[in-house]
Amino acid sequence: MKSIDAKTKDLKTVNSALRTGLNGTTISIKNASHISGLAAGLKHGEVVIRSSAGDYLGVLNAGATIKASQDVGKYLADNMTNGTVIVEGNALYGAAQYCYGGTVIIRGNAGDFTATMNKGATIIVCGDVGNEAGTYMLKGDFIVVGNSGKNFANYLIRGNVYIGGQWEGLGHNTKVEPMTDIDISKLRAYFEAYAIVADPKTFKKIVAASEKPFYN
Amino acid sequence: MAVIGAFCVSVNKEVCLNARMPGKCATCAEVCPHNVFSLDIATGEMSVVNFNACVGCRICAEFCPENAIRINPAEPEYITRYPWTFSTVEEVHYKAQTGEYLLRGFGTHGQTPNFDMITVVPSQIASPAPLDKYREECDLEVVIGENTCEKPIRLKAPFVWAAMSFGALSKEAKMSLAIGAAMSGIATNTGEGGLVPEEAWLSRGYSDKDMTRKKWEPGGYLIIQWSTGRWGVSVDYLNSGDAVEVKIGQGAKPGMGGHLLGAKVTEDVSRVRGVPVGSDALSPCRYYDVQTLDDMKHMVAFLRDVTNYQYPIFFKLGPSRPYADVSACIEAGADAISIDGMVGGTGCSPDIVTQGVGIPTIACLPPAVKALQDHGVHHKVKLIALGGIRNGLDAFKAMALGADACGFGSAAEVAMGCRVCYACQKGNCPYGITSSKPELRARLDPMEGGKRLANFIHACTEEVKILTMLSGHNRTVDLSTEDLRAMDLNTAALTGLKLCGYDRPLPFWEDALSGNGHKKTVTSS
Repeated sequence: MKSIDAKTKDLKTVNSALRTGLNGTTISIKNASHISGLAAGLKHGEVVIRSSAGDYLGVLNAGATIKASQDVGKYLADNMTNGTVIVEGNALYGAAQYCYGGTVIIRGNAGDFTATMNKGATIIVCGDVGNEAGTYMLKGDFIVVGNSGKNFANYLIRGNVYIGGQWEGLGHNTKVEPMTDIDISKLRAYFEAYAIVADPKTFKKIVAASEKPFYN
Repeated sequence: MAVIGAFCVSVNKEVCLNARMPGKCATCAEVCPHNVFSLDIATGEMSVVNFNACVGCRICAEFCPENAIRINPAEPEYITRYPWTFSTVEEVHYKAQTGEYLLRGFGTHGQTPNFDMITVVPSQIASPAPLDKYREECDLEVVIGENTCEKPIRLKAPFVWAAMSFGALSKEAKMSLAIGAAMSGIATNTGEGGLVPEEAWLSRGYSDKDMTRKKWEPGGYLIIQWSTGRWGVSVDYLNSGDAVEVKIGQGAKPGMGGHLLGAKVTEDVSRVRGVPVGSDALSPCRYYDVQTLDDMKHMVAFLRDVTNYQYPIFFKLGPSRPYADVSACIEAGADAISIDGMVGGTGCSPDIVTQGVGIPTIACLPPAVKALQDHGVHHKVKLIALGGIRNGLDAFKAMALGADACGFGSAAEVAMGCRVCYACQKGNCPYGITSSKPELRARLDPMEGGKRLANFIHACTEEVKILTMLSGHNRTVDLSTEDLRAMDLNTAALTGLKLCGYDRPLPFWEDALSGNGHKKTVTSS
């Protein structure tokens, strides 16, 4: 496995090395917490970050697998369209926003506005999420194993939001529906695939009350 | 001010075809998208049954075979009954009946400070002599990103099409803009609704997807917009054009995001944007993924990175605090900054926001220029004026105020055939420009639309050339406020231009210490 010590390197140098060096292989990076936009726009290969990571990790990811062994900054996997991002630690504000596809797994907690405007990705937070998580989600699955803050899934338009714990407040245009067998088997498959210890049967499912809540 | 009840519609029943042949013609009722007319089955007579619904598009008059229809604005009311005009009364009734506020398209109407009270100062004997438009050259090229990216944009004329999204505009209108840009060597802009695939090759002058046959010289450019709704955005999308524009705001609704009502979210639009068919696509008012200016700097850095440092980065601002906002864009790393004044257009906006929010374009430009000058980047970071630019005269004035180029949005729609009915949000534009219905879209031929747009740019370019050369210049970059005078106190006060007759700026613009509210604070040592 190739490795990069990013301690004295800037965004352009590190990302250029990733783009030219990946070729479907794995590259590990350390000392990268000062870089915002690390592993941006990659289409293939695997990047393993063996340190904490800065903001916008994996922004516009289009097919790569990105694994972070520690905590990450704000806006993790922003506008991802494909690929997988797995964070072993916590993610700050705005994780997995504007995603069109792919999978984001956060084993720790995630901050406010996580999964905002999700348009088709699968986003799983194993810990808790902050306020306004899942705002204006338009498609995809957003799964919170722990608890959520205020205004959870606010103005949900389409897609499914699942939560294992409690919400501090549920957002507008939402309704709670019973878990179906399909929902339970879907969650069980996710949990098995990513070694998440949780019982899907205890989860609650939130869907949109209307696809057109703003202007009639 | 509402558009409801703003027009008086009448059918001259003696001239109407149905007077001779009752029931023979129902053209007006068929073409009107607002059900203003109805053919009486019993008498065979055409009547105006819903005059309040008329938005003034005049499609009925155009199609009437006997020229029997008149649509007159109810203007005298604004003199005799203002502020309680019929349309204001109707607006109150509408709100009382529905509990809803008004939405509409196009842009601000009514009087706002504009370019009309600025005049151009020609050269005579005391200043450098005028140049000859007919027999001498004039450099109109604008280069964006010359020293900051690998592929700078070289506009052949100092114009761009303002950003207008697919969804707000029909696919045919987007294609027309791309062809018009290619034929005139200027740039078109995706807007925030994702990419119409044809834009990518048509804007560069190619008629085929593989870009093997160049059909239109000199070929233009495509600006890819990155916005708060992030509709249809991927790394491939960002790399499909020649520049990336970070949209912060727009003139028609600064402080709010894009509005695309469900009526215009068709299967095609839904596929690009990821919004359910019929659901309103309401962009966030801000970037959820930016909280500080440092975040914005990082955003610019990764946008440059994912586009391999090839393309310039534009910013688009609404009209708020031009000095501070332009300064922030410069700090964030902009290569060009578009500032869209109050009368800038829109596909849909709350009426009160379009009418009552923002700073007029002529008042945005001086502080924007001052910010560029204070940062030492005037004419290096390019300033693009948007919002109510109608012709080469407006564009010349904007450039003499310090802009490097101008954008046409509303004027481009008019060049394609729009008659300004302020109902773009409904999706039933009878000219096929903002329509979502196939039968209406079919009325706009992209080739014809593209030619009209290119003709419009050619005419405006010549106008700018005339004015530049009669002012004694052979490059638009040499234009300055000395080439302009304000014709009234208000315009002199808003712009800092010298007042005609007085031939000096108003005193508070000359006071360097207290400044004009936009200059940097002067501190004593």
